[in-house]
Amino acid sequence: MQKTWNLRNIILLTLISIICGIIFFATGFIYNSLSLMLTPFGLAPFANDILIGLWIMAAPLASFIFKAPGASILSEVLGSIVEMFLGGQWGAATMIGGFIQGIASELGFTLTKYKHYDWIGIISTTLTTTIITFIWDCFKNGYSAYSIHMLILLFITRMISIFIFGGILTKLVTNMLTRSNVIK
Amino acid sequence: MDPALKLITILIIAIEISFTQNLILNFIIIIVSLLILILNKISLKSLLYIFLVPIIPAIGIYAAQLINGSTNYGIILATRVYAYVFLGTTFTKTASIKNLIFTLEQNCKLPAKFAYGVLGAFNLTETIRKEIKQIKLAAAMRNVHLTFFSPTLYFKSIMSALNWSNLLAEGMTSHLFVEDSPRTHFKNININKLDYVKMIIIIFLVQIVLIKF
Repeated sequence: MQKTWNLRNIILLTLISIICGIIFFATGFIYNSLSLMLTPFGLAPFANDILIGLWIMAAPLASFIFKAPGASILSEVLGSIVEMFLGGQWGAATMIGGFIQGIASELGFTLTKYKHYDWIGIISTTLTTTIITFIWDCFKNGYSAYSIHMLILLFITRMISIFIFGGILTKLVTNMLTRSNVIK
Repeated sequence: MDPALKLITILIIAIEISFTQNLILNFIIIIVSLLILILNKISLKSLLYIFLVPIIPAIGIYAAQLINGSTNYGIILATRVYAYVFLGTTFTKTASIKNLIFTLEQNCKLPAKFAYGVLGAFNLTETIRKEIKQIKLAAAMRNVHLTFFSPTLYFKSIMSALNWSNLLAEGMTSHLFVEDSPRTHFKNININKLDYVKMIIIIFLVQIVLIKF
């Protein structure tokens, strides 16, 4: 822990969260248009769940790059503080959300004892992230008021999104980094 | 008020409104935040921005509850979206990330390497934005269109970030920044006792509103 978190890695970690944040904000119009399209059907929460994978991507990406305990939490917390100052759409919720997502993603790697930075790790972190962020949204976004069918659909949508962005896309990026010998 | 205490206060309030359903509290938060923002001479442009930006998520969440849930809950959720944004803006407009990090370092025992590392990275935000634009442009010239879906975009930006983090860390070390060694401060920040009182009063008032209404 002491060795991993030296000055250079802390800077790199923050930069990675900022990169993910900027790429995410560049797609802000997708969220808004998706949300607008779904609003007349009362399905706007789906916009949130379809894109949530992009939101949490910094955490598994950082874990895969540093392969060390704490990478997920740190990247999400640092990222959310920076995002809040850059003027995110969600204001104060960004910070709490960042913290919860960080813990959720970290838990996935903790359960595999920080040894599986492969598909097992991805599946584990996808599951924990989906479950914990879903519980949080039950309170924050009032999911608890929806019917059970809608909840199941939302849950599956969220899991697929997290798996695609936090899993597959992260793995592809890590593979590229490994091939260029940047990370081991 | 000290930025660190302000942040804690705002986080406590935000967590409380997440777990409770109180329309009046949401409105009070919005109005008080608005007053604070006006007193701090917020520009008309940013004011419009914070009114317009949450409108799509707020309407979306309201419509979702209207059709698939309960109407009353929908109104609470829509105002909650605004309450979050106003709380966040009140913080970011009245405190800077620099002051927040300095007070966290001096008063909350945040290690100096984290404080200055994050601050250094934060100052690179504009450069990163330019770099991402450049990567996209360079790819577009070869008729490759990179979106948030392409691993290449992330890969190339991370490669640049690796380079910058090395340079920045080297630069800081050559300016005699030594990790884990005690530092002296040009500007000492002490948390005023009055700030603690303010924080307690604000949180106390929030509880009263929650219980009374």
